[in-house]
Amino acid sequence: MTINYQVGDTLPPLKHTATSFQLFRYSAVTWNPHRIHFDERYAREEGHDGVALHSHLRAALALRCVAEGLGPGWRVTKVAYRLRKPVYAPADLAYTARVTATEGDTMTLELIEQQPSGEVGFEGTVSVGKTPGATP
Amino acid sequence: MSFTPEPGTPLAKYCSQTQPRIGDVLSRRSLGTLDAVTIGRYAMTIGAADPSHYDPAAARSAGYADVVAPPNMLAAVVEWGVGTPEAQLQPDGTPHDGDMPLGDGDLGLRVMGAGEEMELVNPVTAGTRVVLETTLEAVTPKQTRSGPCVFVTTINTFTSAQGAVLNRNQRTVVLRNPLQESS
Repeated sequence: MTINYQVGDTLPPLKHTATSFQLFRYSAVTWNPHRIHFDERYAREEGHDGVALHSHLRAALALRCVAEGLGPGWRVTKVAYRLRKPVYAPADLAYTARVTATEGDTMTLELIEQQPSGEVGFEGTVSVGKTPGATP
Repeated sequence: MSFTPEPGTPLAKYCSQTQPRIGDVLSRRSLGTLDAVTIGRYAMTIGAADPSHYDPAAARSAGYADVVAPPNMLAAVVEWGVGTPEAQLQPDGTPHDGDMPLGDGDLGLRVMGAGEEMELVNPVTAGTRVVLETTLEAVTPKQTRSGPCVFVTTINTFTSAQGAVLNRNQRTVVLRNPLQESS
């Protein structure tokens, strides 16, 4: 199957408002009792500016940008990311993915999270491949 | 450039306790069988609309055996099974015996995720029995703009009960001294 993307192409950005509701549900569904994600008073005692988004939630949102931008038929095979600064709910975030390499039926994309201040809060790379494969 | 936390600080105590364990397999355990509701709830919470996370028929038509988890779901779950009794949680809420060694609660260290490298070898679908092995890879003190820190890295390998690798993840968190000792 032909890949229709070229180096430099960007996927449609994922614009997302992270709310305290989402952080509560993310803590619940991942059975994560870390208080900085749901207890604002405690989070501020630790020096935060509010309840902090989970790093894994931010990664999940960045990967949604890729999955929804590429559509079905693509599968994420590798991800690497690092967090440059925390972000606190509520926050209007924008995730972008730019193609940096293509080879056969695989691609590599650069991931960026842009925070409300305009700063980059999260950066990473993701590799994707065609065909979902089979369950082991 | 190498950095050593100031002696007597919680970060220094953490390093002396934890650095000897570098290379150790910290745990190897069964996480149970993934079910469709857990996958669907995770997908719902992150706002994913792909029907292959919710609908077995849609998942099968996309080539999966059953509903498939979003890519970082295995990495994101902190506690599997019933979890830790509240009285045994540390003051910041984290479990004392979690997959990431965060030090004794009386150290009062502050923890946040710092990054991850994930190799997603096979799709993770409902009905899969999952086994997790965690190895301590690195405990690295650093001086940063926000003060002294320790970066802790584990390798989390998720396999099926049959031994097929699902995810191989290198997870890093950053630990900081309690606020009153962080300057």
